[in-house]
Amino acid sequence: MGLWDSLLNWLRSLFFKQEMELSLIGLQNAGKTSLVNAIATGGYSEDMIPTVGFNMRKVTKGNVTIKLWDLGGQRRFRTMWERYCRGVSAILYVVDAADRDSIPVSRSELHDLLTRPSLNGIPLLVLGNKIDKSEALSMQALVDQLGLDSIKGREVCCHMISCKDSVNIDVVIDWLIKHSKTAQ
Amino acid sequence: MAQPLVKKDDDRDDEEEYSPFLGIEKGSVLQEARVFNDPQLDARRCSQVITKLLYLLNQGETFTKIEATEVFFSVTKLFQSKDSGLRRMVYLIIKELSPSADEVIIVTSSLMKDMNSKTDMYRANAIRVLSRIIDGTLLTQIERYLKQAIVDKNSVVASAALVSGVHLLETNPDIVKRWSNEVQEAVQSRAALVQFHALALLHQIRQNDRLAVSKLVTSLTRGNVRSPLAQCLLIRYTSQVIRESGTQTGERPFFDFLEASLRQKAEMVIFEAARAITELNGVTSRELTPAITVLQLFLSSSKPVLRFAAVRTLNKVAMAHPLAVTNCNIDMESLISDQNRSIATLAITTLLKTGNESSVDRLMKQITNFMSDISDEFKIVVVEAIRSLCLKFPLKYRSLMSFLSNILREEGGFDFKKAIVDSIVLLIRDIPDAKESGLLHLCEFIEDCEFTYLSTQILHFIGNEGPKTSDPSKYIRYIYNRVILENATVRAAAVSTLAKFGALVGSLKPRILILLRRCLYDIDDEVRDRATLYLDTLASGESEATNDQTDEDVKGFLFGSLGIPLNNLETSLQKYEVSKEPFDIASVPKEVKSQPLVEKKAAGKKPTGLGPPASKPTSAVDAYERLLSSIPEFSSFGKLFKSSAPVELTEAETEYSVNVVKHVYDGHVVLQYNCTNTIPEQLLENVTVLVDASEAEEFSEVAVWPLKSLPYDSPGQTFVAFEKPEGAVSAGKFSNLLKFIVKEVDPSTGEAEEEGVEDEYQLEEVEIVAADYMLKVPVSNFRNAWEAMGDENERVDEYGLGPRDSLSEAVSAVINVLGMHPCEGSEVVPNNSRSHTCLLSGVFIGNAKVLVRLAFGIDASKHVAMKLAVRSDDPSVSEAIHDIVNG
Repeated sequence: MGLWDSLLNWLRSLFFKQEMELSLIGLQNAGKTSLVNAIATGGYSEDMIPTVGFNMRKVTKGNVTIKLWDLGGQRRFRTMWERYCRGVSAILYVVDAADRDSIPVSRSELHDLLTRPSLNGIPLLVLGNKIDKSEALSMQALVDQLGLDSIKGREVCCHMISCKDSVNIDVVIDWLIKHSKTAQ
Repeated sequence: MAQPLVKKDDDRDDEEEYSPFLGIEKGSVLQEARVFNDPQLDARRCSQVITKLLYLLNQGETFTKIEATEVFFSVTKLFQSKDSGLRRMVYLIIKELSPSADEVIIVTSSLMKDMNSKTDMYRANAIRVLSRIIDGTLLTQIERYLKQAIVDKNSVVASAALVSGVHLLETNPDIVKRWSNEVQEAVQSRAALVQFHALALLHQIRQNDRLAVSKLVTSLTRGNVRSPLAQCLLIRYTSQVIRESGTQTGERPFFDFLEASLRQKAEMVIFEAARAITELNGVTSRELTPAITVLQLFLSSSKPVLRFAAVRTLNKVAMAHPLAVTNCNIDMESLISDQNRSIATLAITTLLKTGNESSVDRLMKQITNFMSDISDEFKIVVVEAIRSLCLKFPLKYRSLMSFLSNILREEGGFDFKKAIVDSIVLLIRDIPDAKESGLLHLCEFIEDCEFTYLSTQILHFIGNEGPKTSDPSKYIRYIYNRVILENATVRAAAVSTLAKFGALVGSLKPRILILLRRCLYDIDDEVRDRATLYLDTLASGESEATNDQTDEDVKGFLFGSLGIPLNNLETSLQKYEVSKEPFDIASVPKEVKSQPLVEKKAAGKKPTGLGPPASKPTSAVDAYERLLSSIPEFSSFGKLFKSSAPVELTEAETEYSVNVVKHVYDGHVVLQYNCTNTIPEQLLENVTVLVDASEAEEFSEVAVWPLKSLPYDSPGQTFVAFEKPEGAVSAGKFSNLLKFIVKEVDPSTGEAEEEGVEDEYQLEEVEIVAADYMLKVPVSNFRNAWEAMGDENERVDEYGLGPRDSLSEAVSAVINVLGMHPCEGSEVVPNNSRSHTCLLSGVFIGNAKVLVRLAFGIDASKHVAMKLAVRSDDPSVSEAIHDIVNG
């Protein structure tokens, strides 16, 4: 049964384009806009300006068109995250793994957001960015400090990436494509 | 989209046109706005929903903060669409929602991206929206993009950036001021709109720096402003510079530019220049001529808007310079039958202002034809024009009066009727011959008048004027009809009017008494009370028929004024609390509260045309007279001859504001100082003005009336009286020093300290001149009055006035020196004339009527000569007038 289904989906995906919508959140300077660039073009730039509000990007990977809502991470935009997370296929939460002081704030913002009923059941992908830096946390430490184990009722996944060195970006894209069908 | 926007009602006629916006309703549109959140966007449908939202907003529908924010965030989702039409709608709706929605800052990043996009439409619109939502700190981030945009090749983008600059200047002036170089570059742009916007922004940046504006105008008037809109702006700025430069006469700066603009191709530039010239301060006829010529051409244009603009401007010119416009009279007469009623009305009122005596009848006939077609507002304009015409040509009162009475019978609103009634009342006052017919017209009118206010006004007026006519009895019927037919207010007014007839016309008294007795059974209290009161006073006068004193009392009671300013009475009554003590009218303060602040404001306004001398001055004189006679020291001075207009003795905005009114009596002069204390922390006491009359030899100080206390912001008066030779025209200069005791006031409690300090304050000088002894009294027909006066007391002499700027300047200078009333519009000097005759009338101190005929001539070197002929009741007065001119 399951085999048959996945075969059907695979066949369907050959003929039909799929679409998915993602929102990209996290504290300021976590590397959200850089991640969008990395996914879209693979490029990287040191010289980024803070996102005021949001950026909307459409990226096509294989037969999946991904709509990315890249939201500003400054305090005044955090209340608006929820509006752009409603009804998306997945929430990408980017954390600066090298900035250990910001982890507690990052944790509380994340848990606050996930309590909203409108976001029930939406898969969460937590990305620890900047592992190219020596002071970056390990994955286990990040999972612990963010308290990801306590999150119930949704699929939670965590990857460690580096936008600068393009480490694990392909893993993220794979994860996204795998989840595109749940959007339907 | 299949579903039509409009629900068609099949029962209706299909021919009827439906608005596509019929039946749009907020609740359902907000529901529809959910399509913005669909994962698969339908751009066309979204555009339509935004259109509906915009429609609602523009219809004045208000969205609550929650609704607006909700819609706003849904709209931001539409940034994912690449559809340029939809994006344009998104820009529009964000602009509309930005004031009412929260957190609009969220779109900043998206707009910044669009601002640098390749599509010009995106760039221009994104800039415009950004300027609406951005704050100061973000503005510094995008400043360099905006600066680039200002000098962008694409004119739409440049204009958008410039307009944004105009808006941002209000909130972030410092940042926008840094863009001067770019804006200056944009002023040189070839694109018309860019040049226009750049010039507007540049001016706005510099508007507070007079010198910079002047420099801007100087450099730009030399050429290369090609866009008509920008040229219009430049003309406006130029006339602003001219106005502020303050040169009244001689060569004006930039006048050549204005005149050259009259020869531009674009009509709007020509018109703007013509209007600017006509509005120059003290414009001369030489300057006016070219402007009037182009306006005259516009009058026969095929475009209604040009005709309207021209005739409207000419109408304004006609107020100040009626003779300059006469050349256009023929063109304007053809406009009377213009399809556009606004043009026709303006044409006719202009003609009425500029017309001469002979054309009045013809004009009146033409006006009568179209009166019924125009709205009340225009009718009032016509009535006012006719009123001033009538005062100008008193001999024509018959046809004008009959015109007024005709339109009085037509349908019309209150304001229109009031304008007519006011005009008739004014004509009756100023033209004695018109009295009887005017009163009868008013009587006819109140027979069928739906406005209580007008009925009572007219009844009051008839009561004052009617008894003095040759046959007062004919008015009684109209008045008594009111008692029978009208409402209580009008009945009460009618009873008062009847009583006035009874008191003044002895032969009618018995019959009036009968009528009044009938009113005793009226159902209304006020009417009965009045009837009883008047019966009593009138009857008591009759029973002691020998007693003239009683008769005087009755008249005083009926016609006399209250002797108390009504404002003061009103405040006193409001303060009065019902108690055992009866209200004492003597407790009402008699002091007239002068209102220097209001007067200053009024003086700042432009004089509003040729309006008839309002009745206000007389009432001011009445008020002064009452005020002065309430002060015992001055009561022996006799009758007040003249009170001048207030003269400011301090600069505006000083600690103490003082102005002076000169009251002239036969043998005395009283200076009334109106003082205002503008310091909240001070109370002034024992305020006097120390007057030094050493430069006024014939005057000697006889009395001082100090002001006991002058609290903050409530004006008070102090007086100084002088004696002077009886009947003489004594002139002199007085220097003034304000002396007082200052007490500090605690602002929190408002209580003053016990101890005060003596202080003084230097005021400007006041001068008493010959004109102070002359009352401006008009005569209705100068020629008749002149002939009637006879030549036995005529004195004629000739004077050289030396070089003058123009003839009209010389004429107005002489009129000012004499302080007399110009008759028959003769104070206006026609264009380019070499000679002029001016007729003046007045009453000189000692109640001597004076008529003056001035003949002026000007030669090529601008030397003005004047022949002065004076006729008066008294030869010494005629001499005195010559002395004034000599002096």
